[in-house]
Amino acid sequence: MIKPMKIIFYSLAILLFIGPVFLLVLQSFTEVWQFSAGQSLTFQLDSYSTLVSDPNIMEATFWSLVIGACVLVINLVIGLLSGKALSSSSFKGKSLLEALFLAPILIPVLAIAMGLHLFMIRIGLADTWTGVVLIHLVPTLPYSIKIFHNAYHQFGNHLLEQAEILGATGFRQLHTIELPLLKPAIRSVTFLTIVISLSQYAITAIIGGGRIITLPLVFFPFLQTANTSLMAAFSVWFALLPFFMYLVVELLLLLLPYTRKPWRNLR
Amino acid sequence: MNYSLDVINLYKKFGEKKILQNLQFQLGQGKSLSIVGPSGSGKTTLLRILAGLESPTHGTIMLNGKNVTHHKPNKRNIGLVFQQPLLFPHMTVKENIDYGAKMAGQSSKSKTADLLRAISLNDYADRFPAEISGGQQQRVALARAIASEPEVLLLDEPFSSLDVQLREELRYWVKDFLSQQQTTTIFVTHDLEEAMLMGDHIAIFHEGIFQQLDDADEIHKHPVNPFVARFLKSHLVIDDHQYIPIQSIRSRKPEGEHRSYTAKLLHWTYTLGQKTGHFYIEELHETITMPIGTIGLKEKFSIYLPLEKIQFFQEAGNRK
Amino acid sequence: MKSYSSKLWIHLTPALLFLILPFFGIITAVRHSIFADEGFTLNFYQELFQSDRFFSSLAFSIRTSIIATALAIMIGLILVRLFHPYLAKLSPRISVWLPMLFPHFVWGYLVILLLAESGLFAQVLSAIGWIDGTNHFPILTRDPYGFGIIITYVWKEVPFVILMLLPVYAAIPTTSYDVVKTLGGNRWDQFKTVEWPHIQPTLIETCLIIFSFTLTAYEVPALIGTTYPEMVSVLSYQWFYGGSWDERPLAFVVMVCVSIVIFMIALTSYLYLNRRRMRAMRGRL
Repeated sequence: MIKPMKIIFYSLAILLFIGPVFLLVLQSFTEVWQFSAGQSLTFQLDSYSTLVSDPNIMEATFWSLVIGACVLVINLVIGLLSGKALSSSSFKGKSLLEALFLAPILIPVLAIAMGLHLFMIRIGLADTWTGVVLIHLVPTLPYSIKIFHNAYHQFGNHLLEQAEILGATGFRQLHTIELPLLKPAIRSVTFLTIVISLSQYAITAIIGGGRIITLPLVFFPFLQTANTSLMAAFSVWFALLPFFMYLVVELLLLLLPYTRKPWRNLR
Repeated sequence: MNYSLDVINLYKKFGEKKILQNLQFQLGQGKSLSIVGPSGSGKTTLLRILAGLESPTHGTIMLNGKNVTHHKPNKRNIGLVFQQPLLFPHMTVKENIDYGAKMAGQSSKSKTADLLRAISLNDYADRFPAEISGGQQQRVALARAIASEPEVLLLDEPFSSLDVQLREELRYWVKDFLSQQQTTTIFVTHDLEEAMLMGDHIAIFHEGIFQQLDDADEIHKHPVNPFVARFLKSHLVIDDHQYIPIQSIRSRKPEGEHRSYTAKLLHWTYTLGQKTGHFYIEELHETITMPIGTIGLKEKFSIYLPLEKIQFFQEAGNRK
Repeated sequence: MKSYSSKLWIHLTPALLFLILPFFGIITAVRHSIFADEGFTLNFYQELFQSDRFFSSLAFSIRTSIIATALAIMIGLILVRLFHPYLAKLSPRISVWLPMLFPHFVWGYLVILLLAESGLFAQVLSAIGWIDGTNHFPILTRDPYGFGIIITYVWKEVPFVILMLLPVYAAIPTTSYDVVKTLGGNRWDQFKTVEWPHIQPTLIETCLIIFSFTLTAYEVPALIGTTYPEMVSVLSYQWFYGGSWDERPLAFVVMVCVSIVIFMIALTSYLYLNRRRMRAMRGRL
């Protein structure tokens, strides 16, 4: 009864999710496929060396990381503060506030960016990376607030009250209890934020005004000129950045108190 | 005025609902007080106010002569053990116990080791809370509260999430443990038996005040009002002023002057090996529980209350 | 009590300040759509509503988003229903969420890589002789029917649907299934009486998020769509960035119209959910 379901699950997962990604990675390491012409796979690393030696791509990678990191830090701070506030108290209009915090997901971010464009010019934030960071908050922050709200809700108010009774002050409580318990939420927010930030072409182009070049802004024009292998390598590159960011965050999380060696928790 | 805890005129309102109405009491160093009352009477709110998790509408809380009414929980030296153990899941047993002491700057290896031994969990020092049983978790929670050396320890029905057998074991253990540590404690429960076991004194809490605060003997001998008498289940309340202890009720007509009522048997059970009946006294609209013994099983019969055994409630003024 | 509530608002202030950004943005967009140099005007709306290009684009966009949303939700729901016991474990879960690592347009590129006329499938099928040459492969990318857009979105959003529904399914107590079973209910009854009430709010929320995203996102249709009919986002972006300044207000009008569509749908579902909740609280249906 259980076995066939498991086989079906893994076949589906391979067919739909793992397989395509594998093919993408494979293409990035091989010459352009021409099976109809009877050719077989020829492995190469040129696409990656071209990628890494292209100054535009490297600069765009740098800016994507800078903007992504800033967006992430702001997401973590605001998400944590408001998630805590929402879960630790009940007040009139709280459900309305929760709805308001989620609403930006439903408003077209393209419309928001167009609307803010002139205003950003007026206050001098258009064509700057700060402006791009701000506009990237719109599609990310609602998710982060929700994730932190859920996380705080899950370990509950009583645990924090217990810490307070034992004498923990605000910052020490954050450091010794909240942050260690929020690790899974911090990981989710890291991935989600970076991927969403890396996904923004239109709003980055509008607010960045073509001056702030992030990876998507290089990817689109590349599509016209580059060959399939290079595009595949570029695509894989996009997925490597969240991993890189995750690694950085994970290293920072190791600094938190009561962190075990990674293998202790595997049991 | 050498009280560990001195509570003066404590008053609390949630909207229109009055939870505490000018509550007053004192607790000496090393003493233990059980607060018992029906569920939902606001016992937990009282503890939360004492711990600083909620503020009173007005009133004063003195801790060893120091006014702490407006201090935050982490600034007043009071421990609170909740119904659930609430151990920090990312810390080991040892780290949990050490946590409070660390925050107070009173951490020491030997103290943690002593406490681990006292709760007989020294073999479990490096386990995580999820890896030990519920009773063990509650013991750790207690040791953690003690480790920060609170001036007063509050216990909010700490056994209610455990099963009956474990609860009884743990009661005796905690009682011994706390008297060894010489800790001043307030123990909240809805169970009268648990209250008698855990406290030198018992406070019966209802409608925002202590209806009576005395030792178990005194409360049983002289309940101050119908509520207390009914709560103890050891007296028949005749009216707002008079009651009679259940053991003075007769099933045969006595010699002297007496009153008589009709009792209706509702059902019966065994208590401590004795067949016990639950009766409804129609004339008084009261339900009582007493040993069936001499009465025998009858649907309806008369009970007799010798006049000389009937007593008057003595409102001893409000408590001192 | 006072100190607690002031702390609450201090904690909420950054998030409330953030809200200024999207709401000020959308209000400004509305203002740009109804104000010209000479003051209030509805000319831009009039102009837009006479444009066939806009209406065919709107119809195409709504159709494409509805199909993509419905397919993503259905496939995601079926996968979660069938496999949520496996998905509790880490590695199966990660394998399902793999597409979430990639931006949407990168996944769009993957679709081109696999399904374009010169893509892998076409090449493999023609190499093994199932089709005569790659030009006989159906046109699935940059096609006038939006197949490419739909395929990309469905593929990319199914993991998102799983992400949203998985915690809900994990929280359904198994005893509720037993109750239905002991009362003689079949599998459909189990779904209807046990699962549906649990998942409905999240399902509707997920639907809304996917629908509004697919309706208004620019990147995927720009990459894998065609020039006619085009998605409203592409049309609006072109008018915004097109050579002529005269077309800018039209870009705003398009986005405002689409926002109104989304707002109406969101409002309807919110009222529907709320009404259901009220009725459930009264204890009868």
